[in-house]
Amino acid sequence: MIRHPLAWGAWATAVLAAAFIDRNPFFQALLLLVMIDVVLAYRGRRRVGTWRFAVALALVPVLFSAALSRFGQHVLFTLPAIPIIGGRWTLDAVAFGASTGLALLLTVAAFAILQTAVRSADVVALLPRPLYRAGTTVALALAFAPKTLAAFQSIREARQLRGQRTGWRSAPALLMPLLLTTLERALQYGQSLDARGFGSGHRSRYRPLLWTAQDLLVLLASLAAIVAIAVLPGVPYNPYLELVPSVPNPDQWLAVGLLAVPALTASVLRVDHAAHHA
Amino acid sequence: MWLGAATAAALIAAFLSIRPAHAAIHHAALVIQHAGGSVITRCVAFAEDQITGLQLVERSGVQYEAQDFGSIGSAMCQLDREPSTVPSGCFGSGPYWQYFHRQGGPWQTSAFGASSSLLRDGDMDGWRYAVGANQVPGNVAFASVCGARVPPAATATQVAHASNDATPVPTATPAPSTSVEALAPSDSPHPKAVLTSTGPPAQPPNSTALGPWLAFGSMAILLLTLGAVNLRRRGP
Repeated sequence: MIRHPLAWGAWATAVLAAAFIDRNPFFQALLLLVMIDVVLAYRGRRRVGTWRFAVALALVPVLFSAALSRFGQHVLFTLPAIPIIGGRWTLDAVAFGASTGLALLLTVAAFAILQTAVRSADVVALLPRPLYRAGTTVALALAFAPKTLAAFQSIREARQLRGQRTGWRSAPALLMPLLLTTLERALQYGQSLDARGFGSGHRSRYRPLLWTAQDLLVLLASLAAIVAIAVLPGVPYNPYLELVPSVPNPDQWLAVGLLAVPALTASVLRVDHAAHHA
Repeated sequence: MWLGAATAAALIAAFLSIRPAHAAIHHAALVIQHAGGSVITRCVAFAEDQITGLQLVERSGVQYEAQDFGSIGSAMCQLDREPSTVPSGCFGSGPYWQYFHRQGGPWQTSAFGASSSLLRDGDMDGWRYAVGANQVPGNVAFASVCGARVPPAATATQVAHASNDATPVPTATPAPSTSVEALAPSDSPHPKAVLTSTGPPAQPPNSTALGPWLAFGSMAILLLTLGAVNLRRRGP
């Protein structure tokens, strides 16, 4: 499995470059398939909330573009002269919004995969010695928000089990246990850091982070994809000029194929593993 | 596994099959009508699938000054030395260069600037220096600027003929040949009309060729197969 944060960082950079540089729907569809492949290969706990958020985020540009843009030649319908939303609603504007929304969806997917595949401890371990203490503090601070949210959900569920109200009116009753839980966790963090000798100077590693062949392969493939995207840009897709997109140049598909390397290595390694046990 | 190998083979074959399509020569026509009524036309050959309106003007060799207006493209401030000096703010207060497209039908006002509009084989761009909106250029046919289109089978002979008799000097006499180099615009409304294009007006390749779609489909099948493999290996 690919573990090195730098390999994943290069891959995420390449995905973001592809998602935002080329808005051709065919290219975006292939990129979405790549993301699904990688999600399937590295899926951890099911995060339905993340995907709901991503889909909602992708729909926002569609709505805004359709409602606010009056350009385009393919008219869906015409509203009377209502302020802001009145006038022609065009398919061109919907296509433009969908293209933007898909780019946002791909962005959220890339970060969701990073969150699943990369361990924050590995990222902190990569930091040079002068930045180690600051990096650890930032990592703890970043983890604080999701932990607090999880604690809030737990307290809410506990109240539901007791038959108590869980709406917004019950928020004041939730604050006190949430505050106590948060303080308790902060104390635990402090004790944990103290027990590990945080800030004592010398830092040792129980499991050194080494580059594997898969890590190197993903890093090289991602760098090659970035170069391919930069050197071989496609014809920019603009639905206002031409609604039906042209099929992308095969050179660009090479970049998409390179981005699928994490999913490919995961599937191949699992095959080898199964054969070994057989 | 076999499905993946077969798809990969199809993908490679598709990649190889679509390479020659890039070598085709396309043509677009440029019509410029001055305030005094004089018209100049240019036929521009290009190897790409499409070019922008600004590239068309640039490649035609006509002098121009343009100003970029961001996402809506460039506006033409001066074209073919008209006006004699570029007004401040590009447009000035009098006449200005109005921009139109034509794809077989009548002239249509362009919603975008020249750097954002795209032209493909057989398209026309028209510029007219006039006051007031929708002052379309004269009715100039594409064939009168770039010559009539011919079937691919007839092209080779005519190209060879054109290479021997090529003359860039325009005439007012319609020529039987359809080569761009040998044919001057037959009904150009202005004697200054000349051809700047090189290369024959070859029949463009079918833009809906099977190759790119085959490559796209093969890539999609490969990715779907990879996803299915990962889904099956990991299990629920």
